[in-house]
Amino acid sequence: MIRPNPPSPDITPLEVARRVSRPASQDTDNPVYWATQMAAVATRHDVDAFMHVFAHFGPRLQRYLVGLGAAPSQAEELVQEAMLRVWRRAGQFDPLRANVSTWLFRIARNLYIDSVRGEPHWLDTQDILEQLDDLPSEDGATSAESFADGIGLDHAIDDLPPQQARMIRMSYFEARSHSDIARELGQPLGTVKSNLRRAFAKLQAALRKAP
Amino acid sequence: MKPHHHPDITTLMAYSSGALSSAFSAVVSAHLSICRICRDRLRETDAIGGQLLSQQEGLPLSPGAAERLMAKLHDETPVAAREPHEPTAGHDPDLLPSPLWPYFGRSYRKLSWKWIGPGIHHVRAEGATEHHLMLLRVAPGRSLPMHTHGGSELTMILRGAYDDTLGHFAPGDIADLDGETEHQPVTAPGVPCICVAATDAPLRFSGWMARALQPFVRL
Repeated sequence: MIRPNPPSPDITPLEVARRVSRPASQDTDNPVYWATQMAAVATRHDVDAFMHVFAHFGPRLQRYLVGLGAAPSQAEELVQEAMLRVWRRAGQFDPLRANVSTWLFRIARNLYIDSVRGEPHWLDTQDILEQLDDLPSEDGATSAESFADGIGLDHAIDDLPPQQARMIRMSYFEARSHSDIARELGQPLGTVKSNLRRAFAKLQAALRKAP
Repeated sequence: MKPHHHPDITTLMAYSSGALSSAFSAVVSAHLSICRICRDRLRETDAIGGQLLSQQEGLPLSPGAAERLMAKLHDETPVAAREPHEPTAGHDPDLLPSPLWPYFGRSYRKLSWKWIGPGIHHVRAEGATEHHLMLLRVAPGRSLPMHTHGGSELTMILRGAYDDTLGHFAPGDIADLDGETEHQPVTAPGVPCICVAATDAPLRFSGWMARALQPFVRL
């Protein structure tokens, strides 16, 4: 629109943050490790395992919620609420359906939409939708592949072209609408959408390759 | 109900990332409630969010956050199993998809349709989304004028059917249309076509049926 040749993407604070350091421990990068911690919470009400999950993911949830526009104090309350849900609903976590990080993402997003955006029906609707897959489908098909391995997705996100990676991050970490992203990047909405479609195809391929 | 037309993946990504307006989210949720394929795809879009979450460096929480959380655990017991799910949609043909209940109530029979043109009725959603979300009922065998869209529109067919250049749209199907689409829907003979439509223009109708109705509905 305004800029026919979009400049190379700026490095956002989020990208800087993740370049600074990655966890040294192999364990914390491994979704199976976190699934094991959650199993201990579910079966033994293991407080140590739970606080370990909190120590790792709590600050990440805080960054996510602040990035979405929640005030830091409100974000902290939402992190507490999200973690209490994790505690209460530990038995519902199914490692064959989602990684712990995906489950946490969903819980935090739902609480954000409920309380920050003030949509009173969202939480109930999400609960109903999640329960639908507890039942066998009409044709007896099993649902979804296993997402037990997040490593492939990790690399696939790192391998995205910078423009696509930026759009994905703006979408997920700032909850910006696609037309909003198009405006900010000075590109037609159709271009943003086709970039996001291409990015999804690559990430989906990485997800499905996982054992 | 086995849908053949699904929301565009970018629409599911927007839903997953929390970037979709409540009106559009309501239509997506209604479709998700009857479409396992899209629920699986949504798990994939959520997995992207989960992966990004775990890749980011955190923001430090205030001192004492862990202790505060610990203190709350004593009052809470983990629930081993999910509470039994209230049996709902899919069996009683009078029930709307449950994600639409907050906006339109549960029952088709109890809807108060308003006449807005020959063969055409509508019901506006309750609450803040009223200008963006509505049910439309169009008599069978009716041809609507050729039109394009001013903005995006997301429509899900609930009953009846229509045909246009994009194909045949039956219950459960989604028409995920942007401003570029030009089409001329014709409702199928037999029963009225009922659909739920979200638009992104608050006071201005846009979209397949809505644009056709604009002359009848002066706002």
